[in-house]
Amino acid sequence: MVLKGFGRRLRSVFSKMFRKKKDIRIGLYGPVNSGKTTLANKMCMDWLGEEMGPTSVIPHETREIQTKEKVTIKSDGKSLSFNLVDTPGIATKIDFEDFIKYGMKNKAAKQRAKEATKGVIEAIKWLDNVDMVLVVLDSAMDPLDQVNITILGNLDARSIPFVIVANKVDLKRSQANRVREAFPNYNTIGVSAKTGFNIEELYNHLIEKL
Amino acid sequence: MKGKSGGKHMNIRIKFVPYEKFRENHMGRFLRDLQENTIVLIDAKLKADEEANLIKETMEKVSNQFSGIELNSLEFANGKKLSNFDKIKNMVIERIIGKKRGLTIIGPAKTVRQIRKNPEELLLYM
Repeated sequence: MVLKGFGRRLRSVFSKMFRKKKDIRIGLYGPVNSGKTTLANKMCMDWLGEEMGPTSVIPHETREIQTKEKVTIKSDGKSLSFNLVDTPGIATKIDFEDFIKYGMKNKAAKQRAKEATKGVIEAIKWLDNVDMVLVVLDSAMDPLDQVNITILGNLDARSIPFVIVANKVDLKRSQANRVREAFPNYNTIGVSAKTGFNIEELYNHLIEKL
Repeated sequence: MKGKSGGKHMNIRIKFVPYEKFRENHMGRFLRDLQENTIVLIDAKLKADEEANLIKETMEKVSNQFSGIELNSLEFANGKKLSNFDKIKNMVIERIIGKKRGLTIIGPAKTVRQIRKNPEELLLYM
């Protein structure tokens, strides 16, 4: 078991060393409805002039891995090119009846639930394919949710660099400091993907980090 | 154990699974317990990759009758500030015994609405 984990880490380190700099993959991870796709859309609109994918208040709108290649961000004379990977929200439960509460029909709700479960599985598998992660958390929700802890624990265990994005700071009930206090050992940047508030700090951090 | 839900009694089973058995057993058997309305207690804090694997396997089993799981865990030193010496001692002990000291509770999401950590106890909301 120890050798298996060591082998996997070694493969990951080598793969990242020899992957060309232009092939950097930055993944957006987080729980359901934290604003990953909204942030992806903001970044893609800022630097590519087009969005990544649709968003919705209905959970599990993103049910497949979505990628935008050659996103180049610039700040203070420096630039960074990467492929942006938007992933489905990670959840430990998916109940089709929750979608019915949003007005979906029974058949469509069951289909959405089926696709959402596949999306979660893909998101977890894709942890092996990213070079850096933006962990997008809803700053209005309790950050000490088990899903968040599992995501951060897996990134730590795989030595994948990440930054916590405390999203939705535009909301009155947002508490970005609560996120910082919950995870004091990690960098946390408070943003609003919806309004663009403080997004420059995130871009600067990415350029500095990579 | 019997619980009440909307005036009707429902049977809930609580099963203790030693961490060693959790690691040895096929995930299928473990998930079958959860599908059969069993709350499972494991005498260790699961590793992050074990949690991720559990979530992946759970998603494979999600159906109209089984919507998934709620899980949470307590570490040995939850909520306490350990000295550096105690941290090292804890690390050595965990290396020797082969598991992270603590407790993990996993329950079917249709029965267990939420498991919240507070910070030295776990609260189950049914």
